[in-house]
Amino acid sequence: MGLTHARTMTAVALAASILAPAARAQGADGANALAAGQTLYEANCAICHQSSGAGRPPAFPDLRGNDILADPYVLVSKVAQGLGNMPPFPTLTAEEIAALATYVGSAWGNSYGAPTEAEVAEILADFDPPMAPRSIWDGVYTEAQAERGAQVYRAPCGICHGTRLNGAPDDNDMIPGPALARHNFLRIWDGRSLGMLYTYTISTMPQSNPGFLPPEDYAAIIAHMLAVTGAPPGDAELPADAWELGHIQILPAP
Amino acid sequence: MTLEKKIKPGSLDTGPDEGGLSRRDFFTAAGAAGVGAALAAGGGTEAAASPIASSSMEWDYEVDVVIAGGGCAGITAAIRARDAGASVLVVDQNFDLGGRMLHSGSFLSLGGGDAIQLRDMAGEADAEGFITVPPVEDPEELDDSVDLLFTDVTDWSIVDRKAQSPYRYNDRELMRAWAENCPATREFLMANYVRFTRINGTHGGGGLSRARAPYCFLMLGDRTDIRAGTITAEDAGVADPERTSAMAPVQMEDASTFVGPGAVRNGVALARPLEFSAREKGVHFMLNRRFTDLIREQPFEGRILGLRASYSPRIHPESGQRLESFWQNGNVDERRETITIRARKAVILASGGHAGNPEVRAMFYPAMREPAFPTSGMALQGPGGQDASALIAGLRVGANLSGMQQNLSYPTTFHIATRLGTRDAYTDMMPGHPTFAFRGSAGLAVGNVGFEEFIAVNQVGKRFFNEVRLPKRPGANRYPGDGGAPNRGVAHVPNDWRNCRSEWVREMYNYDHGLDAALAMNEGSTAPDYHSGPIWAIFDADAIERTGWELRFPYVNENNGYYFQGDTIESLSRQIYMNHPFQRVPLRYLSQTVETWNGYVADGVDPEFEREVDAPMYAISRPPFYALSIMVVWHDSYGGLRVNGRQQVIDMRGQPIPGLYAGGEAVGGFNKHGLGKGHVHGFIAGTHAAAELG
Ligand SMILES: Cc1cc2nc3c(=O)[nH]c(=O)nc-3n(C[C@H](O)[C@H](O)[C@H](O)COP(=O)(O)OP(=O)(O)OC[C@H]3O[C@@H](n4cnc5c(N)ncnc54)[C@H](O)[C@@H]3O)c2cc1C
Repeated sequence: MGLTHARTMTAVALAASILAPAARAQGADGANALAAGQTLYEANCAICHQSSGAGRPPAFPDLRGNDILADPYVLVSKVAQGLGNMPPFPTLTAEEIAALATYVGSAWGNSYGAPTEAEVAEILADFDPPMAPRSIWDGVYTEAQAERGAQVYRAPCGICHGTRLNGAPDDNDMIPGPALARHNFLRIWDGRSLGMLYTYTISTMPQSNPGFLPPEDYAAIIAHMLAVTGAPPGDAELPADAWELGHIQILPAP
Repeated sequence: MTLEKKIKPGSLDTGPDEGGLSRRDFFTAAGAAGVGAALAAGGGTEAAASPIASSSMEWDYEVDVVIAGGGCAGITAAIRARDAGASVLVVDQNFDLGGRMLHSGSFLSLGGGDAIQLRDMAGEADAEGFITVPPVEDPEELDDSVDLLFTDVTDWSIVDRKAQSPYRYNDRELMRAWAENCPATREFLMANYVRFTRINGTHGGGGLSRARAPYCFLMLGDRTDIRAGTITAEDAGVADPERTSAMAPVQMEDASTFVGPGAVRNGVALARPLEFSAREKGVHFMLNRRFTDLIREQPFEGRILGLRASYSPRIHPESGQRLESFWQNGNVDERRETITIRARKAVILASGGHAGNPEVRAMFYPAMREPAFPTSGMALQGPGGQDASALIAGLRVGANLSGMQQNLSYPTTFHIATRLGTRDAYTDMMPGHPTFAFRGSAGLAVGNVGFEEFIAVNQVGKRFFNEVRLPKRPGANRYPGDGGAPNRGVAHVPNDWRNCRSEWVREMYNYDHGLDAALAMNEGSTAPDYHSGPIWAIFDADAIERTGWELRFPYVNENNGYYFQGDTIESLSRQIYMNHPFQRVPLRYLSQTVETWNGYVADGVDPEFEREVDAPMYAISRPPFYALSIMVVWHDSYGGLRVNGRQQVIDMRGQPIPGLYAGGEAVGGFNKHGLGKGHVHGFIAGTHAAAELG
């Protein structure tokens, strides 16, 4: 444990000195892709893998010196389709994924290179095409599902996030959690997908025992969060499927 | 409750079945005062409180084991000593039993391979068959042993996010005794009507190597019956979201995920069953009685012979009536001002910590001497709860203290509460419990994110810190790697220096010191105390619109001095100054502060505290304007009397004080939160106290 840690600390120090020259070595297009990739990374990836790339192993792998990045097929398919704790990002275009790959392939001292946009497109062709994107304001859950979610939510989540989902714990001995509804929730998750929220929740919550509820319960809890936030219900339930949920964006109230 | 036998004052010669308590009736108040005065070492006013006994001393009561405090450690010790055949009298300063245990969450960390760990590991239900859900934890997480637990709670290398090490300073003998007695204590509690849910992790900072903590539960039912394990919705405080009961000061919480449908949990499902069992077994209780002094053969020599206690009724502010305990059987109704109680075998000090006594708090953290800030649960406990009585009385007979710095390393010890608009800001309570009157409002729980909605000002009306960062707490221990418990695939090497190397500390340190800013001096602080004064959340009508906060009774109360509303900032300031009990100076800068803040909002930049980096900033401009109190709360106590592994109190020479035991928050050298500590201490103390020759 301690040893691994010592190694990663050195990696951080190295990253600081290497990143700048590496970035400069790119051509003009490369530099644009790098900048675009970094923006995408901060918005979509940093919540788990951290801006430093260090992640939070074992749930969220360290991307520094991570040889998985050397395999374009694994990288692209993981980003597009997700796997385990990794949420799918089915709405990212080949250009965006290529930019992301450029960034993580060269940031923090990495030198893995990256697939081109065309190469990414070729890999994506192996998978189902994306569905039409929607937002949480399009009636994406049912009232009954949200009601069930409220029931499931109460004991394991309310302890820290509160009956009102405002991050005021029901249990006084717990440290307050983030708000899970209304304007604070919308601000923090703005632009992200329900697929990401769903996967993130399963892999981190409840803190003492992540993922112990059945997947349908996690989907129902998210339905409850949307209901309290004021997003309207619809005719179909939120699916307990990260890929499908990956098409539904969290956006400000219209 | 089926036991209704009531012991009346003056008729306490009870048979062995009732506990063998005897009363000596030839007491005279003057006589006792005389004894005290004759032997007082240094001062007239304290004469009646002299800790020394004389050979002519007359006792008002005599019993095998006397216990000061009927909470977590006290009731456990009482039952344990009574089980061994001792007569037991518990004195408690409050009108009812349970102490802080009664309004706890009942999340009870024991371990070492205890019966509940084994049950969940085997995937079994409870014996009564209430539990219908599968275990929450994987079997590997539950695989525990006494040695592992001991290693874990003495792992000096684990630091919290303030870079303090909770275990580095623990007394190893105490930790060993505790680890060894955890499994037996779990079974003891189960044998006294306590029902445990599935295990769900453990306390952060309470030893993290294994999942060790279930909650205590009861099942909702048609009647309240401790033997059957049921409680009515009314008694549980769940029938009405804004009302609780005399049985449950804090409304019980849903436990269905950890038990099955209809299960409710919190300290009520722990404290009431234990109290029920104690009464059933013939433990005697003298409530409304505050223990003040220990009586020893010589000032610093010889046995502890007994204690002195004074009448401490709690009078309801509206009805003027004395508050009465929920159950009565076994109560001794004694109303004389001061009495003495002889302990043939031993005295056990289980009267809690020092968090409610600002003068004693100064021994640990001088800035927390500000009396505006209370301890948790002050309404239920009254001013005598957590008043350091054990520590003070112990010092007077020569006891040593231990772990004086341990208060610094637990995230709940002192922090800024996110429940606003009530003095009792750590706990919640709804109308329906008789002590609600002492708080007047339940408070508005806004969470950390609620602090984005207002500005926080000090007693002169100036901002003093970045509001968004103000309530952040340091968080518990961090294990290198994922920072969580060293389970779930993270290998952890205990006692490895790399666990707390400075690089790791730099990476995870996350304490913002908002608390220290809140306690800092300001222009209203004057000699000799330089008190920091109260702090206030200031906001406007738009904030209510954004948040939906319900500014109405029972959450806030227009008349209790912790919530104000005004059409102008000036009128708001005036009301606070006039009506808040700790507002010593006018908030003379408040109007200017709000005006400056609104300028920052317009510019999108807060040059003083860089709020724009953390969250949106909102103008405070649409009347009415509001003020809610923000409390610094001192919750747990960690330093206290030094004890050994038998819970005997140790003197300044390192020797046990004969006949004196202590446990729970009254003791130090043991940085572990809450109930797990108190019950095991009570279990050990009760065992050894009953075995004294007497
Ligand atoms: C809201 C809240 C939630 C909590 N949740 C949890 C939790 O989920 N898990 C956990 O492990 N811990 C929890 N705790 C902490 C836990 O309740 C306490 O640490 C534990 O009860 C302390 O035990 P104790 O016996 O030392 O004191 P207490 O249980 O407080 O008992 C002390 C008793 O002594 C009495 N007393 C005080 N002074 C005197 C005197 N001079 N003479 C006579 N009697 C006196 C008091 O009235 C009281 O009845 C919580 C605490 C609170 C307030």
